Amino acid sequence: MTAPLGLEFPPISHLIRWPDLLFEDTPYAINKTTIIYFLAVLITLTFFFVAGRRAQLVPRGVQNMAESSVEFVREGIIMQTIGPDGLRYLPFLLTMFFFIFFINIFEIIPLFQFPGNARMAVPFILAILVWFIYNIVGIAKQGPLGYLKSSTIPPGVPKPMLPLIALIEFVSTFLVRPFSLAVRLFANMLAGHLILVTFAVLSAALWGKNISLVILPFPFLLLIALTGFELLVAFLQAFIFTILTAVYIGLSMHPEH
Amino acid sequence: MLLRFLAEQDPGELVDGLTALGRGVVYGGAAIGPGIGIGLVVGNAITAMARQPEAAGMVRTTMFLGIAFTEALALFGFVLAFILS
Amino acid sequence: MRMRTLFASFGLGLLVAIAAPGVAGAGESGGEEPTEEPDIDHASEECIHLLEDGGEIDDCQEAPSPILPEANEIIWGGIAFLILLGILWKYALPGVQNMMKQREDRIRGDLERAEQAKTEGEGVLAEYQRQLADARNEAGRIIEEARQSADQLKRDLTARAEAEAAQIRERASQDVQLATERATTDLQSRMAELSIELAEKVVERSLDRDTQLALIESYISDLGNGRRG
Repeated sequence: MTAPLGLEFPPISHLIRWPDLLFEDTPYAINKTTIIYFLAVLITLTFFFVAGRRAQLVPRGVQNMAESSVEFVREGIIMQTIGPDGLRYLPFLLTMFFFIFFINIFEIIPLFQFPGNARMAVPFILAILVWFIYNIVGIAKQGPLGYLKSSTIPPGVPKPMLPLIALIEFVSTFLVRPFSLAVRLFANMLAGHLILVTFAVLSAALWGKNISLVILPFPFLLLIALTGFELLVAFLQAFIFTILTAVYIGLSMHPEH
Repeated sequence: MLLRFLAEQDPGELVDGLTALGRGVVYGGAAIGPGIGIGLVVGNAITAMARQPEAAGMVRTTMFLGIAFTEALALFGFVLAFILS
Repeated sequence: MRMRTLFASFGLGLLVAIAAPGVAGAGESGGEEPTEEPDIDHASEECIHLLEDGGEIDDCQEAPSPILPEANEIIWGGIAFLILLGILWKYALPGVQNMMKQREDRIRGDLERAEQAKTEGEGVLAEYQRQLADARNEAGRIIEEARQSADQLKRDLTARAEAEAAQIRERASQDVQLATERATTDLQSRMAELSIELAEKVVERSLDRDTQLALIESYISDLGNGRRG
């Protein structure tokens, strides 16, 4: 992998697979990714406990942020997709949002520089969990047959097309949904991480060359700009994962008429 | 001539090289459609926001949803490129 | 309730997922000898494992697919999520939500109170305005009444004065008439007396004509000089 310029790009597995730190080679092995998960939990809890402990009637600082985030999940996600009867999913969606967001945000935190969601694990389990939730909600609300009918047969389809459409809808609802949900988050974070690594490697390699000091600003500035962009992506992916979950739950609760 | 060149190569390297090519083609191909699609989604969302600025919040949410659905296709290509080996 | 059951069963599934490979791993590790070289890096360690499992040396070149999730990350990620969900749901969120609810209630209460005060104020204002209008009406009524009674009084007084005047005039004219009649009667009786007196005198002094004439003339002049009673 040695390029003519002496540019050494590490293999992908070196970028996203981290050596085990504790309990090596057991299923409970702790590596950088799992530490990021724990830190995400800690940060979220600290955030909310600090906000809740010194709660004042006139919010400021952390409390204000926590309350506006709750408000954001409630008004921006639940009310717009499920409606008032979706408010009982608020803790779940809020947890999901913060867990994903804080795992993502480690992508641009110095010394970590790795989005935990560039590993398939969390997207995978969350997608499975969401799959179970929206199916169970759909079956509970509409009955097994009603749920199967409303999720596979869209209204107003001409008779001859029905088997094909039903098959496609079935695959799309029960197979593609969780898969795309997980892959969207995972691939976005992985791609972002790879881009940042690429430009970081480029900047580092150019740093060592004398002549390249002229062009160094380009990859370096781009690296900075992309870091800002990845902050946006980290937020956006957490938001999209959460709102899609809400949309799926909403579709199971109120099927299209 | 190309065929002879290919035949002279080490089969293992040939496979590696072709795989790398295939990855590039897969991701490149997968990015075309979603690129157009995201362009359409965002363009129409901007039109909608310009026409009805008071509905901008709702349009923005829906736009992100549309982008997410469209983008998923490109990401499938991205993942597929990794799966190829 | 159903959601809680779901999450609980999810956690249970995760627990099983942890336990199963743990048991399997325990079984394996019993038969495995500890590796001799402690200073090999992670990649070569994986390679050794692969070779032990009957893989070829080429497999070492190929990194495990970056797509597939790893067991340890799934387990820790799942545990982390469930812990976060549990604590956030039970302890952290209620505090924040209570405060939000409290503030919401407070603001709503304030608004309601303000609304109430406004309504009250409007009521009081209306009351005052009504009272003011009443008072003004009352005053007008009183003035009107006064004017009416004054008019009445004036009319009464005028009528009474006129009546009195008429009475007085009536009495006066009666008096005049009475006086006239009395005067006439007096005059007649006086005339008769005088005539008799005159006749006496004429008879007393039946003298000559000149003397009679002189007598008469003197009498008449006497008469003219106001000897009439």
